[in-house]
Amino acid sequence: MSERRTIASPLADSPLTGAPTSSIEYRPVAVMPDVRVVKIGGQSVMDRGRQSLFPILDEIIEARRRGVQIVVLVGGGTRARHIYAIASELEMPTGVIATLGKYIPMQNARMLQMLLAKHGGVFILPDDFEKLPLYMQLGCIPVMSGMPPFGYWEKHEEGSRIPPHRTDAGVFLSCEFLGVRRAIFIKDEDGLYTDDPKKNPSATHIPRITAKELVAMNLPDVVVERKVVEYLPRARWCKELQVINGLRPGNVLAALEGQDVGTIVSA
Amino acid sequence: MTKLVSGDGRTHIQSQLMRESLQDRGVLSKTESEHDLHIFPDVSLVSIGGQSIFDRGKSAILPLVDELAEAKRHHKMVIGVGGGTRVRHTVSIAMDLGLPTGGIAQLVGAMEELNAILLNALLAPHGSMPMQRDHFWDLPLYFDAGITPIAISVPPFHLWEPPPLEGAVPMHGSDFGMFQLAEVLGMKQLIFVKDEDGLYDKDPKHHPDAKRYATIDLDELLANPPPTNILDEELYRTWAEAKNLTRVVIVNGLRPGMLTRALAGEDVGTVITRKVKS
Repeated sequence: MSERRTIASPLADSPLTGAPTSSIEYRPVAVMPDVRVVKIGGQSVMDRGRQSLFPILDEIIEARRRGVQIVVLVGGGTRARHIYAIASELEMPTGVIATLGKYIPMQNARMLQMLLAKHGGVFILPDDFEKLPLYMQLGCIPVMSGMPPFGYWEKHEEGSRIPPHRTDAGVFLSCEFLGVRRAIFIKDEDGLYTDDPKKNPSATHIPRITAKELVAMNLPDVVVERKVVEYLPRARWCKELQVINGLRPGNVLAALEGQDVGTIVSA
Repeated sequence: MTKLVSGDGRTHIQSQLMRESLQDRGVLSKTESEHDLHIFPDVSLVSIGGQSIFDRGKSAILPLVDELAEAKRHHKMVIGVGGGTRVRHTVSIAMDLGLPTGGIAQLVGAMEELNAILLNALLAPHGSMPMQRDHFWDLPLYFDAGITPIAISVPPFHLWEPPPLEGAVPMHGSDFGMFQLAEVLGMKQLIFVKDEDGLYDKDPKHHPDAKRYATIDLDELLANPPPTNILDEELYRTWAEAKNLTRVVIVNGLRPGMLTRALAGEDVGTVITRKVKS
């Protein structure tokens, strides 16, 4: 029997998992650190329709006109919840549900592209990410589904059938790949509260908080996906999540220009 | 009957999750049950090692192809392959360049695809085809036609690979990808074809007194993990949270016949089992 024929490299004997064992000095390079990745909420914005969405798009267009490089990602909303509910009842595995969850944000992204087309809106797929420099140089506003491409490979999480990586995770992971410090989430609330303000009127606003403090509060509900809060402390680039209320005029433009509005969750 | 509900400024479709936050643990638990639909319960997934088999070249690959050609006549199976030493070389270079974790994840799959093409070229005369990424719904057609599909083993996380628990190397490699495929499709078992007789309490390449586990329960293995493991840690972590797969087998692909016996459901090599709630 012939031996394994290996290529000599610092990781040649590495199992490639677990603690790093090699001598390589890792000095990470930021891919496109100046880009702003912004998510438009599905349930919180898209499902409200024209009255809520158009003013937000106006501010995105204005920021782009002022030279801010923007990638727009979008969530799913009520149609995603509807298919999740039916699929759960049918006992579909989480990976199947994650695959179903890809379609609605994609519809929303196509809607946004049509509305942004005359201002440079282009619909992109994950595979187009490597062309972002071109879109940015042309002054375009790429629009993509926020759902990360995990699909059938999405893991099951104890106590739930719902895919744990949804469109918030897609925004965060996009920032992490691009080397962007802050992920921006446009929702219909001023950020984090001590409880769901739609249900509990005595809930109070939290302007700034660390991921660790947030986890320690052990809230029954949080405004961003738990996976993102879990990843934030060990992220290399994306160290802040900014959650803003897009229904308040001026917030989106302010956030795109780097101002601290809404709630900032930091690593 | 579908109902549209508005009044809070948003338009909802009536459903169990309507208006709800999908971060709310109480809401999430309503979606859960102990069972998943098992879509392909009579199919085995076979993962052929990159370093352990393909990197050894012809003398290791050809006998295995003969065995697969015979076994495919009797068993429904999907095959996946590992990338081996070229993956490690890719990651070494990418790490030195400082590429982000997602960038490294984007690169590695190509090296496994090379082994998939080689395997398919050898197995095609006996009936095999590379399967497109997630074209699982074609599987009944493949099996009816006597075609064994060769699946892509690395998961499609690509640029969106989550930050690893430690270091910068992506956590989700081909062992995880194969596991997840077997899990989500509710398959019968996952068989890893390696160049060792199974899983040992110590690395048998360095310790002649290493003892092989014949059968071991996943919980037992997680409670007393061996210092080195022939499979990725992420596979075990994911399996512990999963619901469907009950059986992972590790066999020596350099010993003719072992894979065939594993496909037939025999306890050969190392069988890792997991009790699932019934």
